[in-house]
Amino acid sequence: MIHTEHLTKRFGTLTAVNDLNLRIAPGEFFAFLGPNAAGKTTTIKLLTGLLKPTSGRALIGGHDIQADPIAARKLISYVPDLPFLYDKLEPMEFMQLVGQLYGMQRQEVLRTGEKLFDVFDLTETRGQLIETLSHGTRQRVVIASALLHDPKVIIIDEPMVGLDPRSARVVKDVLKARSQAGTTVFLSTHILHIAEELADRIGILNRGRLIAAGTMNELREASGGGGALEDAFLALTSEQPQEQAAAGPA
Amino acid sequence: MNTREFFRLLMQVHGAMARRRFASLRQESWLMVGVIALFVAGYWVTAYFLFRWGFRFLGHTYGLGPVLIDRMLYLFFAFLFVMLAFSNMIIGYSAFFKSQETQWMLTLPVPQADVFRWKLVETALLASWAFVFLSAPLMLAYGVSRHVAPWFYAKVLLLLLPFAIIPAALGSLLILLVTCYLDRRVFKWAVFGFGTVLIAAVSVVLKPVEADRLQSGQTLVLLGELLHNSRASLQPLLPSYWVASGVIAWGNGLAWQGSFFFLVLASNALMAMLVCVNTSTRLFYTGWSRNHSQDGFTAVPSARDAGFGDARVSLLDRLFDCLPRIHPATRALMVKDIRAFWRDTSQWSQFVIFFGLLGLYVLNLRNVAYVWSSEFWATFVSFLNLGASTMTLATLTTRFVFPQFSLEGKRLWVVGMVPYGLKRVVLEKFWLSSFGSVVITLSLTLISSWMLHVPAWLTLLFSATGVMISFGLCGIAVGVGALFPNFGSGSTANRRDDNPAKIVSGFGGTFCFVTSLAYLILAIGAEALPFYLQSTGMAFTPEQYSWAIVGSWIFVSGISLAAICVPMTLALRRVETLEM
Repeated sequence: MIHTEHLTKRFGTLTAVNDLNLRIAPGEFFAFLGPNAAGKTTTIKLLTGLLKPTSGRALIGGHDIQADPIAARKLISYVPDLPFLYDKLEPMEFMQLVGQLYGMQRQEVLRTGEKLFDVFDLTETRGQLIETLSHGTRQRVVIASALLHDPKVIIIDEPMVGLDPRSARVVKDVLKARSQAGTTVFLSTHILHIAEELADRIGILNRGRLIAAGTMNELREASGGGGALEDAFLALTSEQPQEQAAAGPA
Repeated sequence: MNTREFFRLLMQVHGAMARRRFASLRQESWLMVGVIALFVAGYWVTAYFLFRWGFRFLGHTYGLGPVLIDRMLYLFFAFLFVMLAFSNMIIGYSAFFKSQETQWMLTLPVPQADVFRWKLVETALLASWAFVFLSAPLMLAYGVSRHVAPWFYAKVLLLLLPFAIIPAALGSLLILLVTCYLDRRVFKWAVFGFGTVLIAAVSVVLKPVEADRLQSGQTLVLLGELLHNSRASLQPLLPSYWVASGVIAWGNGLAWQGSFFFLVLASNALMAMLVCVNTSTRLFYTGWSRNHSQDGFTAVPSARDAGFGDARVSLLDRLFDCLPRIHPATRALMVKDIRAFWRDTSQWSQFVIFFGLLGLYVLNLRNVAYVWSSEFWATFVSFLNLGASTMTLATLTTRFVFPQFSLEGKRLWVVGMVPYGLKRVVLEKFWLSSFGSVVITLSLTLISSWMLHVPAWLTLLFSATGVMISFGLCGIAVGVGALFPNFGSGSTANRRDDNPAKIVSGFGGTFCFVTSLAYLILAIGAEALPFYLQSTGMAFTPEQYSWAIVGSWIFVSGISLAAICVPMTLALRRVETLEM
């Protein structure tokens, strides 16, 4: 469902993403890890078409995000780390807008929106403007809106930041359930135990290069030890040569 | 989703939000809303009568009245056209490349061209509404002086619509091309280079009027020269020529001629939009990607850049180290503010435009250098000069100083938690902005006084007033900025109002500007009063005249002190209890 071929992005002399080759199957839950400035956000921006690659290409459901962006974006829901919301709208009004932008009918949005309101415990926010909501509640509104049109691919950047334990549990459960129902989830995070708990496969990016990708067991083997993901992550990211710098916009 | 549906949805959403913003005015203080409404009405009424008086004055110039009035309209619209193009470029840059909404829209399944079109409309509206607001009294005064029928105003409004579209398309296209093909650093220096060349060119082209010629009574010759020098505004390929010709034709009852110019404007506006939108389909996304790739590039400097950065840092630090008796915390805050300002392209580019206008104004003063021969005119022009400089300064302090405290929003946890408290932050902003303002005002006052051959004692008086007003305006801007901070909405993590222009456009910014203007009118009016009374023939003995000047200066000092102390004291009290 997500396929990158030699995807590369350079910022001047710096290579933020270097020859990235990924193949993520439909229904797969893929966690994308890496130290700070590893190039994770740049990769996500390349996958969503917010940045042009220097070379290579990214395909979503077989559609090249650069050549056929609308077809590719119809399949995607993207939740950035700092999402945009219209402050003077109510959450349901925002969902109505998002749903209709994805071609849904008003009644359909209302029906699905009500269900998502229940799931994400947003019922109490009815009648309130988004500007009055807390960070965690806004985050729940964004994630609920992202699921509205039943996307085939969910690309989500640091979704748990600012969520209370109950909300975080809900988000994790919903994402896992969607993945099991056939939606591909591409989750970028620094929280290793979330990746360990949810992901079918984990990719580790360091200095723009994909240094490892596989199941939890495969990563343990690749790092040459047992134990938790944290040990494998530290072992793998500390072995990289230092000569090449990579970074991207936050 | 097609373009029409996309636009319909966004218009519904923005309409609903606009209604809510308007409704939220009810929660604001009625006193303040009333003050602002009074100011707006006051501007319209005052501007109308001034324009009316101006048209009457020009109309009485024997044999040349209608020609001078027409030429003034041509010049007005030519100047407006340039300003609109610049305004569209600056607003367009933020709307196309810096807006979070644009980023969000680019992830939606809608064509990038539609996103560009929406942002183009938004830019054009934001850049042009003030132009309609400002030119309304002029058009009304012109219509009244021409005894036109009421539908003249509706027709003029119709004429202004395509006129506003052309600079919007041009400005947006220019900013797309600059973003796509020019590196940010190259652009920065290109703007400075262009500004310098422009000012140099103007200083060569604009020749001062020779006093001998004026005294020899060659008024008609001089008027002829004035018309000759302003003939560039009559270039028939300029949109400003079409709009001015349309207004003049309709004002004279020439319906067909006016309609012809409307059709010329409309067809060119449509063509400009067509070119702009078609070109943008390719350029917009390239520009977006390039702009955000540069962000990434500059965020992590190369070794060479880091070296350059270090050198610059040490230079700035060294400069501040030379200043005695500055607390290390204040010094660190000042260095941070200067550095942040220099690195924000959208901030200083507007600053350069303000200064460019002021520079042109000062250069133009040479054209009235003949007034030194008459004490009345020298004093009169000097007061106009003081008024223009301080009015521009009021715009600068509202635009750049007022948002400073709000901009700390997300950083308040750093500056607010240091053991020196937020009081120091507020005071630092006051001193830094006052110092910058004093440098600007003092330089302008001294240069213009020298050009006008103003007597030394009057130069000293104007300089002292300029310094006081600089402190007063900064006191108002910093104080009101801290009293009405705009940290954005939501929780701390979501405070996203990083755009100073957006912060200024709120209630606090408007209040700050209105207060600054009221203070200026009071201060300059009081100082000009003795001169005015003497020039209108009031019998002052030299001693009484001197005392009147001293009295007015004491009054100006008093209200300046109040302009500093009242908002600053309230602000310092407020930040003591501010909940972050």
